[in-house]
Amino acid sequence: MQALFAWSSVALGGGSVMFVSLLLFRRIRLYRIEVERDQAEERLEPLALALVSGEETEAVDTRDAGVLAGLLSRYARQVTGDSRSALADYFEASGSVDRAMAALGDRHAWRRAAAADLLGAMGSEQAIGALRDALGDGSRDVRTAAARSLGRLRASAAVEDLVRVFVTADVAHGVAGEALLGLGSAALPALRALTHHGDPGLREAAVELLGLLGEPADSPLLVARLRDSAAEVRASAARALGRLAAEDAAAAVRGALDDRIPFVRAAAARALGEIGGRDAAPALLALARSDHYDAAQSAARALARVDPELLAAAGREEFGQHVLEAADRAAIRS
Amino acid sequence: MTEHGPLVLVADDDDDIRSLVIFRLERSGYRTVVARDGEEALALALERVPALAVLDVMMPKLDGYEVTRRLRSEDATRGMPVILLTARAQDADVARGFESGADDYIRKPFSPQELLARVQAILGRR
Repeated sequence: MQALFAWSSVALGGGSVMFVSLLLFRRIRLYRIEVERDQAEERLEPLALALVSGEETEAVDTRDAGVLAGLLSRYARQVTGDSRSALADYFEASGSVDRAMAALGDRHAWRRAAAADLLGAMGSEQAIGALRDALGDGSRDVRTAAARSLGRLRASAAVEDLVRVFVTADVAHGVAGEALLGLGSAALPALRALTHHGDPGLREAAVELLGLLGEPADSPLLVARLRDSAAEVRASAARALGRLAAEDAAAAVRGALDDRIPFVRAAAARALGEIGGRDAAPALLALARSDHYDAAQSAARALARVDPELLAAAGREEFGQHVLEAADRAAIRS
Repeated sequence: MTEHGPLVLVADDDDDIRSLVIFRLERSGYRTVVARDGEEALALALERVPALAVLDVMMPKLDGYEVTRRLRSEDATRGMPVILLTARAQDADVARGFESGADDYIRKPFSPQELLARVQAILGRR
């Protein structure tokens, strides 16, 4: 029995020594890899900078190619214009884009997410289709990286996909929204088409974004959405017209003050505050006196912007709590 | 590095951006001095009096606006052209840059070629 204990102790001790040695060996190996990578980065930095500047450079061997791609993808995040095109050309020619697109099918989610992020940094339009597919990936990290990269690539072909993941919240609103806003005017044709989509969620998001990115010429299209069957879309259209300060839409927005849904009336009142014009003042005052809390408060605050004199007079006559509150706020500001 | 080209101060706390700017300028015949924060940038500008300064807006210790303002208040650097490199591109930020005395600004991410063209344009005017 004693011998058994003795041998067990020896075996446990030996196992522990082996385990610690293994950890130590692994740590040393990782450290050496890190040092080698740093040295390679230092050696390849001038070559990478020359590539960014669009200069002709010598080819590198396969081992250096990975380090060079990593360096270039870092620089690619900082540059635009010819430099970005030069890098995209390099990544396509060197096969880096193909390898990263293949990695989108990897069984590890972190590798797929890293590949999606890298494709955005590489700047190659060849990756747009694969990144659009990656918006449907089972991992949120992969979808998020794909959305960011599509924004970085200014992929106007991906507008509908991005709006969809924005609506379904498959990608965080901030990320999908930033990608769409980053597209700027390139997103407008697709957004305009989406305002007629069968899905009210997509219509609402498209109308909202049109208010942020659109032009005065979008006003008639948004006015049409004030009569949408979905209240969220009508409210969204009122907000968008307010943001665009669409004076030609003032009469239509005034009409939305009679909408049967209170939050649409509230959005219309706020929009009239943005658009301005005293024509809206009597209707806003009436809404401020008699409506639900939000709509009445919004109307009173809008009145403070479009006709401060009427608001002041109404405030003295005690037209209700929201009118008084808005008059006080206006008095404090002035 | 060229030995006789105009001297340009490049100040940015981001290693990659510094490398990109320096490479582009030196390849085109400019000499460069480098700072990693606002205080270092100010000290170098007063000591070396470069022909032009490319300053990041969001730097540690002193931001690009403040460095520009202080350069404008010193006799030696009052007329030194300044290009601000900024990730902030709101109109108010741009206006703030010009109010602080900057001559031009470039948004990040940026085109190194465009930066070079602006440097050449400003120095060519003088």
